[in-house]
Amino acid sequence: MSDDIKISKTFDLKGLACPMPVVKVSKGIKDVEVGDVIEAISTDPGSLTDIPAWARTTGNEVIKTEQDDKVIRFYIKRNA
Amino acid sequence: MMEVQPFTALDLFTWLTSKEDFLLLDVRNDVEFGRFKVEGPYPFEMVNVPYMEFIEMEDESVAKVPRGKKVRIVCAKEGSSKFVGEILVQHGFEDVAHMKVGIKAWGNLLVPVRVGAGDDYELYQFRRPGKASCSYGLISGKEMMVFDPAKNIPFYRDFAKDKGCAIIKTFETHRQADYISGSDMLRQTAGAEIVAPEDDFAPAKFPYTPARHGERHGFSSGGPEVEIIHTPGHTPGSTCYHVDGKYLITGDTVFIQSIGRPDLGGMAQDWSRMLYKTMTDILLKLDDDTVILPGHYMDWDEANEDLAFAAPMAKIKADNAAIYSIADEKAFFGFIQANMRPQPEEYAKIREINAGLVAVDEEQQEIMDIGKNECAASAHTAA
Repeated sequence: MSDDIKISKTFDLKGLACPMPVVKVSKGIKDVEVGDVIEAISTDPGSLTDIPAWARTTGNEVIKTEQDDKVIRFYIKRNA
Repeated sequence: MMEVQPFTALDLFTWLTSKEDFLLLDVRNDVEFGRFKVEGPYPFEMVNVPYMEFIEMEDESVAKVPRGKKVRIVCAKEGSSKFVGEILVQHGFEDVAHMKVGIKAWGNLLVPVRVGAGDDYELYQFRRPGKASCSYGLISGKEMMVFDPAKNIPFYRDFAKDKGCAIIKTFETHRQADYISGSDMLRQTAGAEIVAPEDDFAPAKFPYTPARHGERHGFSSGGPEVEIIHTPGHTPGSTCYHVDGKYLITGDTVFIQSIGRPDLGGMAQDWSRMLYKTMTDILLKLDDDTVILPGHYMDWDEANEDLAFAAPMAKIKADNAAIYSIADEKAFFGFIQANMRPQPEEYAKIREINAGLVAVDEEQQEIMDIGKNECAASAHTAA
């Protein structure tokens, strides 16, 4: 989808309800190097504000969000 | 180890209105918390520690939760409050519970209080603390009429059933922009007749009986009459329903504090002119002891000793003298302009839904419908 972004790892969080999308992203981002980008795919509408809030808390960065009907894709850069 | 117990939105309302000593821990993210939070009539202790902070910094987050009180946790959808509750229990908190369903249960909660009665009828106000709005139920014999119902249809149906009543009519004071109306669902599920002002509902896709100024509606035998009074301004169709010549269900025309804003339709000057005329020709001529029953409140301090939102017109005129004494249309528009502020972006879509012009699924409805109303001309107390 986003050809211009190099994705190190993708996390499929479809069907998960909070807090699980944030729990998985929190763990998952530690699997990649600082500076790398992960893709997280969620169907929980709460993620739309929860993932950016989590990113602000941790110092990581949501560089892009795409929404296609119920599927939300976050591209998150590990900064911390 | 202690279990994290569930509680309901009604439990929370009961604690808030009985001055129970507890801590409300809201674990939604700071943006959602800032947008909409639990309010009650008395001061209570509330803290916001987002659940993502518990994930990242468990000890520091636990330390932000004051000890010594029972902890009642709310989140968006139940999962995160349970998750945080379990963390607190592991850290030695003893009385911890989470709200079932999540904040939307609070957003949809309706709590009845009786605001009027006659020989053969009772009038109830259904307070919706999550929206700061009020709908009404008028009961006589085995029939009930509702006014400005929210979309929580099971509540109205259960209430009617408990009273042994059928819901025969549902009245709309105007086409709402701030919450999704339950009238069409009551028509579909309970067979209620919708009565609604044509000026607002002309494009509606569902059948309704036009609310015409001066006409009266009644029960099939006995009971009070409901007289229709057209009070344009907040919207061109805005209508008040006068019950038994004593109680006036005003929708967003008269509030306990302030008056309904006429700038939501993008025609502030025209609608402001209409509202000024309504104020001088109708509202200022009401009997002083007419009991005003508004569609919204701005703050719990508007409630009376029964925690109901009802006040005689004399008190409303006195408390809002700065509005009701405005001498001319131009000055009135000046007051409106001085208090104008943006409306939430979902209002346009809610208006469409309330005429049956667009349909959205249950989850979208919940998202759009949550949050406090923005309907008063002055944001808090009358200027």
